[in-house]
Amino acid sequence: MSTATVGGSRRRRHGAVSPWAPYLFVAPFVLLFVLFLVAPIAVAVVNSLFSRQSSGLGFSGSSIEFVGLTNFARAFADRDFIEGFPRVLLYGAVQVPVMMAVAATIALLFDTALVKARRFFQFAVFLPYAVPSVIAALLWGFLYQPSVSPILQFFESIGITLSPLASTVVLWSIANVALWSLIGINMIILFSALQSVPREMYEAARIDGAGEVRTALQIKLPMIAPALLLTTLSSIIGTLQLFNEPQVLQTITSNIPSDYTPNMAIYATSTLGKDPHLASAMAVILGLATLVVSLLVLAANKRTTNRANHGL
Amino acid sequence: MRTAATMLAGAVAVTGIAACSPEEGASTSGEPVEVEFWGWVPGLEELVAEWNGDNPDIQVTFHRMTGDDGQKVEAAVDAGAGPDLVQLSTHNLPDYVIAERVQDITDYVAEDESNYTPASWASVSFDGRVFGVPQGIGPAATMYRHDIFAEHGIEFPGTWEEYLDAARALREADDDLYLANLSPSEMGQWVQEIQQAESSWYGITDDAWTVGVDDEGSRLVAERWQTLIDEDLVTTEPMWTPEYWSLVNDGTIASITYAAWFPSILAENASGLAGQWSVAPMPTNTGSNNGGDSGGAAVVVLANAEAPEAAAEFASWLNGSDDTQEALITEGGLFPSTENGLSSPALLQENEFYDDQVINEVFIEAAENTPATWVEGPNFGFIQTTILDEFAEVVNGEQTFIEALEITQEAAVADLENRGLEVTSP
Repeated sequence: MSTATVGGSRRRRHGAVSPWAPYLFVAPFVLLFVLFLVAPIAVAVVNSLFSRQSSGLGFSGSSIEFVGLTNFARAFADRDFIEGFPRVLLYGAVQVPVMMAVAATIALLFDTALVKARRFFQFAVFLPYAVPSVIAALLWGFLYQPSVSPILQFFESIGITLSPLASTVVLWSIANVALWSLIGINMIILFSALQSVPREMYEAARIDGAGEVRTALQIKLPMIAPALLLTTLSSIIGTLQLFNEPQVLQTITSNIPSDYTPNMAIYATSTLGKDPHLASAMAVILGLATLVVSLLVLAANKRTTNRANHGL
Repeated sequence: MRTAATMLAGAVAVTGIAACSPEEGASTSGEPVEVEFWGWVPGLEELVAEWNGDNPDIQVTFHRMTGDDGQKVEAAVDAGAGPDLVQLSTHNLPDYVIAERVQDITDYVAEDESNYTPASWASVSFDGRVFGVPQGIGPAATMYRHDIFAEHGIEFPGTWEEYLDAARALREADDDLYLANLSPSEMGQWVQEIQQAESSWYGITDDAWTVGVDDEGSRLVAERWQTLIDEDLVTTEPMWTPEYWSLVNDGTIASITYAAWFPSILAENASGLAGQWSVAPMPTNTGSNNGGDSGGAAVVVLANAEAPEAAAEFASWLNGSDDTQEALITEGGLFPSTENGLSSPALLQENEFYDDQVINEVFIEAAENTPATWVEGPNFGFIQTTILDEFAEVVNGEQTFIEALEITQEAAVADLENRGLEVTSP
């Protein structure tokens, strides 16, 4: 009886595989994807087309009404919300290259094996990433306040007055927190990519007379281009989503308004301003903007890669 | 003991959700009614435990609110969840009523009306219906460093005009000294002066709202602080930050004008300065005796509460009964909104931190002198966010207070209209 069953199943395996099998295997992914990605986006899109409407003084109840694209028109007319975009783009234009340069440099240094106690330093660079960004912002917030910051007091004692929360520099103080938090993870990704480059490449380069710097620039970096692209892209997306650091620092300075970044504006509109429908429209706009920027970066990357390939 | 009770209550709550249908079967089946309560006043844990001990049929679980818990409540209620009872600033109550997040509890609490001050009862009543139980009010007075004033031979000012002179005199006497801090992030200090000037952000004319963010009284206050900022007579640090408390503790800030709940917080954060502070009435506008109030709180029954009557019963006991007044005043630092609270001997204790002064005498006087002109309205949160963003630009020197008020006024009217509400010009 049992052998017959086994034999039967074995035969079936050779014959017609159940047409449902692939779907079954994909199902968990699709389910999670729909539940946690598609559904929230769909809810946001639907929400953005409605508005809660009352009448008179409002005490006689309210109803949710379809308003078409009104919320989008309001979002685009909201100057403070729109001004957040160039602000984060400027921030990203400075912060992403700086972060990538620092992360890549550290990764390359670790890779040359010139660094002693490499494991310790890797850990030290990575550690800030393990600190939640809200905590990181709180921590730096202390260091930014003149009366409580040992760093600012030190500079004060040698005659240099720094005010990292002044309206002109506060954006870069935020960038500093993000940089401190995120260099570690980017460094680790780039370092792992470097580890997978075949060592013979370096040997060949050395025989051809390339020094460490030349090897780094012309062999190592091109070899880890995919990892560089990945980290750059995620940094750019992170830039557009900028929220935690300015939101926390907002509590200690008046130079960060509630709508400083698009994400903060969405939070302020939905939670403080109590208009979740308008906030949904803003969220859809931010999502689309992020998509466009990501596609642009990918396209630019493809063009340079193509050119490089043709050049070779 | 208390922990055990809470755990037991929690377990009952879980089984309650699993077993009971929405209809009210709890009390008939012999199981106690469950009430989940969120609040922030110090010492509420003890009062809740006391209630649970005396009322086996209505068991309350308490959650201490911190950070942005208040904002979580709104999302939770809108999603059909959330606690049964929550402590709420009365400024936000109209918005809760309009968004249908609170229940009408007129039938359960109307008989207690006579025990509450008329102003506090008015702050929870709309359209003749009652939507909460008042929990404290916020009459304002000025906490000041009597040692600093004495050192420089300056009298604490009685009017805002004298206040300006005192600010100049202190600044002149000592370059590191400021009379006060203007926090661009703190709304209550603005609201109390608006009330003193008999203005209001909202009004009701027939069946429509009026918005008065930049009305006459507000402009008076705006011009006062503009002068203080323009002449560098005040610091402009956001309140509650380490930097702010550092300025208070090192004697840079000589006075703070705020509500009756502030003295205990000041004593906590500046414990090294005990005996050096006094409390005086908030300076007055010339020709007027008015005090101010930054706003009170209420305990409200949220929309999804299944046993509103039990929840309201607990809320009434917590805020109105004779048993709780002393604890709310001494532990909670509340300024009572009830008659039995106002006549409680606990209110008139000498305060060590304030050089053994009976500080509440000043706050009682302020409460009696606060004009009842303030009207709560539907988009307080929106106005607050907008105006504070604009104030930040004022302290940076990018615009004036008057401009900030005009921008906020316009935005507030637009926001109300977008909600479909009726708005008219006053």
